[in-house]
Amino acid sequence: MSKFVGQRVKRTEDPRLIKGLGHYVDDIRLPDTLHVAFLRSMYAHARITNIDVSEAMNTPGVVAVYTGRDLGEKIGPVPCAAALPDLKVPDHRPLASDKVYFVGHPIAAVVATDRYAARDAVDLIMVDYEELAVVVDPEEAAKGGAVVHEKFGDNVAYKLTAGEGDIDAALASADKVIKQRILNQRLAPIAMEPRGVLARYLPGEEELTVWSSTQIPHLLRTQLALMIGIPENKLRVITPEVGGGFGSKLNVYGEEALLGWISMQLGKPVKWIETRRENMASTIHGRGQVGYIEVGCRNDGTITGLRYNVFADLGAYHQLLTPAIPTLTGLMLSGCYKIPAIQINVTGVFTNKMATDAYRGAGRPEATYVVERAADLVAAELGLDPVEVRRRNFPKPDEFPFKTATGLFYDSGNYEAALDKALQNADYARLREEQKRARDEGRIIGIGVSTYVEICALGPSQAMPAGGWESATVRIEPTGKVTILTGASPHGQGQETSFAQIAADELGVDIGDVTVIHGDTSIVQYGIGTFGSRATAVGGTAVYIAIERLKEKANKIAAHLLQADISKVVWDENGFNLEPEPAKVAAGAGVPEADLPAGQAPGASLPEPQIEGKKSLSLQDIALAAHLAKDLPPDMEPGLSATYFFEPKNFTFPFGTHIAIVEIDRETGEIKFQRYVAVDDCGKVINPMLVDGQVQGGIVQAIGQALYEEVVYDEQGQLVTGTLMDYAVPKAAMLPWFELDRTETPTDVNPMGVKGVGEAGTIGATPAIVNAVVDALSPYGIRHIDMPIKPENVWKIVNQQS
Amino acid sequence: MKIEGTHELQARRERVFQALTDPEVLKRCIPGCEQLEKTGENSYAATLRAGVGSIKGTFKGNVRLEEIRQPEHYRMIVDGKGQPGFLKGTGAIDLEEQGDATIIRYAGDVQVGGTIASVGQRMIQGAAKMMASQFFTAIEAEAKTEANDPPPKHGFFRTALRWFSGWVRRRFRKKSGA
Amino acid sequence: MIPVQFDYVAPATLDEAARLLAEHQDEAKLLAGGHSLIPAMKLRLAQPSLLIDIGRIKDLAYITEEGDQIRIGAMTTHYQIEASERLKEICPLLPECAASIGDVQVRNKGTIGGSLAHADPAADWPAAILALDAEMIAVGAQGERTIRAQDFFVDMLTTSLEPNEILREIRVPQPQKNTAQAYMKVAQPASGFAVVGIAVNLTRGDDGRCQSANIGITGVAAKAYRASNVESALAGNALDEQTIAAAAAHAADGVDANSDLYASADYRRHLAEVYTRRAIQKAIAKL
Ligand SMILES: Cc1cc2nc3c(=O)[nH]c(=O)nc-3n(C[C@H](O)[C@H](O)[C@H](O)COP(=O)(O)OP(=O)(O)OC[C@H]3O[C@@H](n4cnc5c(N)ncnc54)[C@H](O)[C@@H]3O)c2cc1C
Repeated sequence: MSKFVGQRVKRTEDPRLIKGLGHYVDDIRLPDTLHVAFLRSMYAHARITNIDVSEAMNTPGVVAVYTGRDLGEKIGPVPCAAALPDLKVPDHRPLASDKVYFVGHPIAAVVATDRYAARDAVDLIMVDYEELAVVVDPEEAAKGGAVVHEKFGDNVAYKLTAGEGDIDAALASADKVIKQRILNQRLAPIAMEPRGVLARYLPGEEELTVWSSTQIPHLLRTQLALMIGIPENKLRVITPEVGGGFGSKLNVYGEEALLGWISMQLGKPVKWIETRRENMASTIHGRGQVGYIEVGCRNDGTITGLRYNVFADLGAYHQLLTPAIPTLTGLMLSGCYKIPAIQINVTGVFTNKMATDAYRGAGRPEATYVVERAADLVAAELGLDPVEVRRRNFPKPDEFPFKTATGLFYDSGNYEAALDKALQNADYARLREEQKRARDEGRIIGIGVSTYVEICALGPSQAMPAGGWESATVRIEPTGKVTILTGASPHGQGQETSFAQIAADELGVDIGDVTVIHGDTSIVQYGIGTFGSRATAVGGTAVYIAIERLKEKANKIAAHLLQADISKVVWDENGFNLEPEPAKVAAGAGVPEADLPAGQAPGASLPEPQIEGKKSLSLQDIALAAHLAKDLPPDMEPGLSATYFFEPKNFTFPFGTHIAIVEIDRETGEIKFQRYVAVDDCGKVINPMLVDGQVQGGIVQAIGQALYEEVVYDEQGQLVTGTLMDYAVPKAAMLPWFELDRTETPTDVNPMGVKGVGEAGTIGATPAIVNAVVDALSPYGIRHIDMPIKPENVWKIVNQQS
Repeated sequence: MKIEGTHELQARRERVFQALTDPEVLKRCIPGCEQLEKTGENSYAATLRAGVGSIKGTFKGNVRLEEIRQPEHYRMIVDGKGQPGFLKGTGAIDLEEQGDATIIRYAGDVQVGGTIASVGQRMIQGAAKMMASQFFTAIEAEAKTEANDPPPKHGFFRTALRWFSGWVRRRFRKKSGA
Repeated sequence: MIPVQFDYVAPATLDEAARLLAEHQDEAKLLAGGHSLIPAMKLRLAQPSLLIDIGRIKDLAYITEEGDQIRIGAMTTHYQIEASERLKEICPLLPECAASIGDVQVRNKGTIGGSLAHADPAADWPAAILALDAEMIAVGAQGERTIRAQDFFVDMLTTSLEPNEILREIRVPQPQKNTAQAYMKVAQPASGFAVVGIAVNLTRGDDGRCQSANIGITGVAAKAYRASNVESALAGNALDEQTIAAAAAHAADGVDANSDLYASADYRRHLAEVYTRRAIQKAIAKL
C-alpha cells in the first residue's frame, strides 16, 4: 500500500524556496522594528578596563546601548545541557562584562531604528582593553601556561574515561600495536542562512514571541523562559524557514535571550540578523579534537584493542552540548568492528576560541575517522588489503543486536553486504590492478575504503539531556484535509514532504492533501527537534503511530456509521469497507471536499455526510461525521485527531561503505577525484531522493573537511579564516560525481524500520577520502596525513622522495 | 607574523640613523603618518592612516624607540588601534656601513587583530613589506639631503595631505548636515 | 557587513565622471562592477564617502577592432569577454582568462577595467594584460594618456593611475599569425583567486622556433609581472620540451613570493614553474 513511501517524491518545500517566496526570519517584517548590532571583541583574551558608550548613544537613530555591566545577572547564563561529573562550567552571559575570552565575544548591543545606524554606532563605542595571555592550542592548554578562566586555576574542563574490556592487557598481548597522532580540525558549519532573531514583546498581553532560526524551537522556548524569567506559556518561539543548521542551530545562544529581553525592555520588536563574519566567529564550530590512538591487532588483522587519548578543544565557553560531543566519539569507537577492549580518555580543555559543539555528525565523524584510520593503519602494518582487515572484524548479521565494548547495542546490520555491493559497484579488484599499472607509469592513484556505522535516531530519553522522544499530531479536518503537527522542526531536510508521504500512504489520501506544520510552539505540541539524524526515525514514527491511533478511532466511527461490528470493517487505501471489496466500488462513493478545484472558496456551510446505503466510507466521510458529531458512538470524543509522543527504545545504527578513488598530481600535489562510490544503509527509505540529497550533502562536507576546510586561529587567538574568501567551502565544480547505492536492512527499533541518514555522508566519507590519499602516498612510506590535506603537504611528501 | 627585509640606501650611515630617529623625519616617512607627538624620551603618540590601494584604515597608537645604539641599531615598538582592528609590532633595525651606502636590515614581529586579521590574511605580509619599502625609500631621500636642505616630497605624503583635506571637508559636512 | 554611509552619483558621461572624481579626490571611488569595492566597503576597509557609478555611462562596454588593435571598454564584463566568439578566434587568451575568474555571478558583474584598476595581487586579468603587452587609456581632468601594461602595475593594489584618473579602454595588439596563447591558473579553493595564474602569448616563426614570448604571471608576488627570464630563454629557441622546461624554471626568478594559509612562498614559486611549463605547452598545442 505504498503509493508514496519509497518514491522519489519531489520536495513540496522547494517551489516556494526556489521562487524566493519562503519566509526566513529576516523576511518577517513587523512595524516599528528596532535593529540590533553587536560590538564584538577583537582580542582573544583581555580585561575590559573601560567602556564608553556615550558617543554611540548620541548617534541619531540609536535607542539604547547595553553592555555586559548593564545586564549583570538580569539574563540567566547561556545553558549547557551536558551533565558530566565534575564539569567546570564558566558563567556564560550574553554579553561580556569584565573580560573577553575569544575574538567575536559580544561586548555590547546597540539598538537603533535601522540596521545601518546600529552598525555605525558600534564603531563609536570606545573600549579600553588590557590584553591577557592567550591560549589557543588544546594540548598546550591542557599542560598549563595561560589560563582561560582564572577561577578554575587551569584549562581542564573535565576528564573522562570510558570503555570496556582490559585495554592494557589487550594492547600488551597484541601482536602489533600501532600508534598515531591524529587531528580532527575545527570546522565552521556555515549554514547558508546565518542565525537571526526577531523578538516582539506585547506589554498588554505580556507575551513574548521570538522568531529564531533554530533547530529546536521547543527546547529553545524552555531555555529562553528560564534565562529571561518569563513564564514559558507566555513565550512563543516561531521557527520559520531555516536555511540550514548542521548542528549549529541545535543550540541556545546568548543573542536569542538578549533580543527577547531587549524587546521586553523597550516594548518594541527587535531584530538581529547575523552577518557572515559574525557567523564565522560567533556561531559554534565543530570537531576540534587532537588525539593519540593505539590500536592493537593480531597478525591476521583481528583488532584486539583500541585506545584513544583525546584533547577536545572546547573553546572558551560551553554552549548547549559542547562538553558532550566527545562522549559521542567515545560511544562510537568500536566502529563496525568487534573490538573487545576499547578505552577513550577525554581531556576537555578551554581555549580562547569560540565554543565547539554539534556539527553534522557531532562526535561520530571523529570516532569513525579514528576507527577507519586505525583499520588502515593495521592493514598497512600487516601488509593486508584494507578491505580484508575490515571483513575480518565485522560482526556477522546473525550477531545482532550486537554489543560493543563502548556499551551500545547495535540494532541491526549487514556490513558485509554493503561492503560487497560497494566493491562491486566500484569494481575494486580491477581498480587495484589499474592502480598497480598506474604506479608503474609513474602516476599516483589511491583507493580509500571506509566502512562506517553511525548512531542515529537520537535517542532514548535515558541517553539524552532533554528528552529523546518526538511528538506528532495528526488531524483530519472537516473537509478531509490532513494536518500534521510535528515536533521535529526541520531546517532543510524536507520533512514536509517525507511526513506527508507517510501520511498519504497510511491514510489513503493524496500527498497534496497533507500539510505538515512545524516550528511554532503555540501551534505544535512540545517537541524535541531535528538533529542527530532523528527526524524520520523518531519524529516520523510519531507521525506513523499517531495515524494508527487516529485510524483506530476512525474505524470505530466507521463501524458505527455502517452499523457493523468493528471486526467486519476493513481498511484499505480508499477508506473503511464493510467487507473487503475491490477499490472500484468505493471509488464511486461520495465526492470528497478534497476534489474542490484549487483556489475555489469552500462553501459557507459543511455538507451533510452521505452515509445512507453505503458499504464503504472514505476518511473524509468519517472526518466530517466526527466533526459534526451528530451520530457518533456513545462516549466518543468528537473530532478526528490523534497525538502521539514516541519514545524509542534504542538508537538506530545505519551503516555503509564509501570508496574514494583519487589521483595526485605528482608535480604539484593537487588531488583530483577519479570516482566516488557509496553504499549506504539507512534502513527503510521513505524518499530516495531525500536520502540521496542527504548523502550527497554529507559527502560534500566530508570533502570539505578532508581537503579544504579549517578554522584557523593564529597564536594570538585571531581568527584568520574569518570570511568565505579564506575559509574554503567546497564548490560544485570541485566535486566528483557521486555513485550512490543502497542496501536496506530494517531496524526493529521503530515500526517503519527507518534508521536515519542525515549525517552518514560526513561520517562515512571523510575517512574514505583521507584513506585514499594515504593509500596513494603509501609508496612514499606515508601511513597518515592530517586534514585538511593541502596540495602543498602532498607535494612535500612526493617531492622529498623523488 | 614575522617580517624581515633588507634595504640598501644610497646615503651615509650617520645620516640614515639620524633620519631614522628624528621625529620630524619619521613623521614624513612613516606611510600615512598624520601625527607624531612626543610623549616622552623616544616615545611618541601617532595617528596613522595606513593601508594599500583603496583599503585603508586609521590607527591611533604609540611609537617607541629602544636599545638605541647610534649609529647602528635600535628597536622600534609600535602599537595602534582603530576601527579595522589593531596592529602591534616590534622590530630591530640594524644599519651597516657600506662605503657611502647603508644596508638596513629589519626583522620583526607584526601582529594584527580584528577585521584586518580575519579577512586580510593573504595580503598582510605583502602590505607590511610594501609599507616598509615605502618607509625606507622615503628615509633614503631624507638621508641624502643635507641637514639644512628643505625636506623632500614623498609620494604618499601628497596622498596623506590630500586625504587630510578631504577628511576635514567631510567632517565639516557631517557637522553642518547634522 | 554594512558599509559606512556614502553618497552615490551616476554621471551620464565620462567627462562628468572625471570632473566629479577630480572634485572629490580621495573621498570618492569609482564604482564599476562593484565586486571588489563593495566587499571591501562592507568590511569597512574602504570607506569612500562618494561612489561615482560609471556603469551608466554609455559606450564604456565594447569589444572592437581598430587597425591592428583590439579595443576593450573598461566596463566590459568578464562574461562579455568570455563569450566573445571573435576574441576566441583572434585572441583566445582573453576569453580563456575571463572564463577562469570567480563564478558566473562574478563574471556577469565584474569588469576588466575594475579588475585592472583594483590590481589585486591574485587577480587574473593583470597576467593576461601583461602577456598581451596591452595599453591602458586613462582619462583625467587633464586629458588622456596611455600607460603600457608594464608600467601600469606598481605594487599590491596599486597602479600608476592617478587618483583622479579613469581607466577608459584597454588596447591589445592584434596577435599575429602563429601566435599561441593560453591561460592556466591554480585557484585558491576559498576565494577562487589565483594562487598562480600564467598567461602565455608567444609566436612561432616559420622555422619552428619561438619568435617572441610574453609570459605574464599573477598570484605569486605583490603584483603581476612579466617573467622576462622565461621569455628570453624561449625567444629564438626551438619549442621543444626541454627548452620549455628549462625556461619555465625561471618563472619566479628574483621574485619575493607571497605566502599565505594555502601556499607557502616556496610552493608558489614551484607552482609558477610547473604551470608556466604547462601553459606554454597548452598554448603550443593549439598551433
Ligand atoms: C566571490 C568573488 C570571486 C572572485 N574571484 C575572482 C577571480 O577568481 N579572479 C579575479 O581576477 N577576480 C575575482 N574576483 C574579483 C572580480 O573579478 C572583480 O569584479 C574585479 O576584481 C573588480 O572589478 P569590478 O568591475 O567589480 O570593480 P569595482 O569593484 O567596482 O572596483 C574596483 C576598484 O577599481 C576602481 N575602478 C573601477 N573601475 C575603474 C576604472 N574604469 N578606472 C579607474 N578605477 C576604476 C574602483 O574605484 C575600485 O577601487 C572575485 C570577486 C568576488 C566577489
